[in-house]
Amino acid sequence: MSDLNLKSININYSGIWVLAKRELLAFWRNKIRIITSFSQAILFLSVFIFSFPSSVISIGGQQIDSKAFIASGIGAMTVLFTGIFGGLGVMKDKMFGFMKELIIAPVSRNTLMLGRTLGIAIQTIIQVFIILLISLAVGFFGYDPNMIWRFLLALPVVLLSCLSIVGLGITIGTRMRDFESFGLIQTFIVMPMFWLSGAMFPLSTSAPVMQVLNRCNPLFYSIDLFRLIILGASYHPFWIDLIVMGVFAISMILLGSYSFKKMEVK
Amino acid sequence: MMEENIIEAKNLTKIYENGDVLAVDNIDLSIKKGEIFALLGPNGAGKTTTISMLATILPITDGDAHINNYNVKNQPDKVRKSIGIVFQEPSLDGEMKGRENLELHAILYGMSKKERHDKINEVLKLVDLDNKAETFVKNYSGGMKRRLEIARGLIHEPKVLFLDEPTLGLDPQTRRKIWEKIKELNKGNSNITILITTHYMEEADELADRICIMDHGKIIALDTSKNLKRQLSGDIIDIEFDIMENKMILPKIISEMNEITGVKHVSLGEGKSGDEEIPINLPANMPNINPEMIKARMRKIMSDPKELLTAWKKFPMARQMFESAPLDMKKKISNMFGEDLIDQVPEEIKAIIIKIKNGEYKENEEESGPIISISCENGGKQLPMIMQKINNYNLIINNINMHHPTLEDVFLHHVGMAIRDESSDRMKDVKKHIQMRQLRR
Repeated sequence: MSDLNLKSININYSGIWVLAKRELLAFWRNKIRIITSFSQAILFLSVFIFSFPSSVISIGGQQIDSKAFIASGIGAMTVLFTGIFGGLGVMKDKMFGFMKELIIAPVSRNTLMLGRTLGIAIQTIIQVFIILLISLAVGFFGYDPNMIWRFLLALPVVLLSCLSIVGLGITIGTRMRDFESFGLIQTFIVMPMFWLSGAMFPLSTSAPVMQVLNRCNPLFYSIDLFRLIILGASYHPFWIDLIVMGVFAISMILLGSYSFKKMEVK
Repeated sequence: MMEENIIEAKNLTKIYENGDVLAVDNIDLSIKKGEIFALLGPNGAGKTTTISMLATILPITDGDAHINNYNVKNQPDKVRKSIGIVFQEPSLDGEMKGRENLELHAILYGMSKKERHDKINEVLKLVDLDNKAETFVKNYSGGMKRRLEIARGLIHEPKVLFLDEPTLGLDPQTRRKIWEKIKELNKGNSNITILITTHYMEEADELADRICIMDHGKIIALDTSKNLKRQLSGDIIDIEFDIMENKMILPKIISEMNEITGVKHVSLGEGKSGDEEIPINLPANMPNINPEMIKARMRKIMSDPKELLTAWKKFPMARQMFESAPLDMKKKISNMFGEDLIDQVPEEIKAIIIKIKNGEYKENEEESGPIISISCENGGKQLPMIMQKINNYNLIINNINMHHPTLEDVFLHHVGMAIRDESSDRMKDVKKHIQMRQLRR
């Protein structure tokens, strides 16, 4: 695939950085969006933790407190929601005409795509870690000094899964024509991916059909790896999770950059 | 390739794959360094497509083009650095401040921090936006946005500036201001070449050194404004008749006029046909949305009194459109409002509807007779002969207007009477263009 040829990728690093900065700036300035996304996470967190009795969940033979299970799931949910809707921002730029300014610039489409991806990824990581820190502060993970290292180790995992989700978002965003499709994507992509990711429900209590569907969902593996690092328990050995995640991330990034290249702006 | 031509296009062709539309048909262009060159044509003539191909936005189907000695097909990045472009629709990020928009542009064009800082301040000053640089672009007015886009197009010191309909939808003062800026740019020491597309005659006349009239993807005339006008030598006489019962005599009058020595061309603005469809005249300067779409939407609104009420309440334009609508349409609409709904109608429209219902409403403007437009060698000599011919028929003349050809006449001469997308009602167009001319005096 020619996309893997380093010479043809033709990346302008200051271009990537300025585009990433643009995403972060937009994130920081849009206070309503920040409040909404945190409120949503906190709502899910409190509803799930205070509605179900605290129990012990068994993952791969390990006993995990349900609060820690759900808190880590909410973290993963933030990756999905922020990543996809961040990627869909492509469509907003297309609609408001700014995309024309970008594609006429003397930088490659890969630069444009990577800049956006990086910006959204950083923004998502910040959000995920704030959720994790809140959960830590209220004691959902227990008070263990080792948590610092676990969080740091989780950083590359979150980044990798961010890249794949943003790639997916960009792929959809370049093909979308209007805002009306937002509901469609929410219903048919985001929600199924979320509920079938094992973020909220342990595999052990699910019906066999659900278990199969869960295992077909690439997000399931990133959450699994995420839990292995944060909680020390997982369904799969880390290398299976890592391979699935890696393949998913690479294919989504390539697909995203392909879609970006093919995108026509009128 | 000649040294002094900064843009050189040969056999440039664009076929849109979906629908096999031939948008640009084998055109040649050579634009000299330092000139202002206008592409003039009706909507859908292929102006924007031409500019988009030159600017490397659209792939070229056939032919070749060079800008600043770089090949548009093979050296897109070099071409992009040589050009600045202002698109027809705004292409700014409203969530960023004015300066940030420029900053992002400068970085993408590979400028160093020092260069950037100086140049951005310079261009902001040039377009008088230096005191608005820290304002979010979403709070800018239409004219300010346009100016910021022009500034942005200039940051990287391009050799050519493309302006695609730069004053579309702007008010007259803002237009004037932008024209001044464009002239200032071209005449200043930068001596930048400007390629501008427009469908405003005055704009091309005012700005351009050379004008290229395009229609149906082809170049139909290319010369200086003066020479183009010279092509239509002599005078143009417009005769507006009173309403006439028997329109069948008009062709006869026209053929008689054609026989007069010195008369070159006679055209007729036909009266309204008994069209079943509701005639909808879009106001000029509508944003570039597919007119068919707007018409379809408007048809829907006009068949539902509830929708009409909301439209009138929300958009002053809708009220104006009602007032300028033809009488039969007004009657149609009036009939939709019974006693239950009439109270919700805005005052000015309510007054008209009540008058129509009582049969008191008088249309002074709409019920007018046909117009004949005659181009002849010497108006003063031929007009008496024309009058004699008309007198034989015992017709009442409402208005006669004689004038030298304007760029508009040249344009209409080449492109045809009607600007297709806006209205297919020829009568309306002739009238509109006569009215416009009278206003300009």
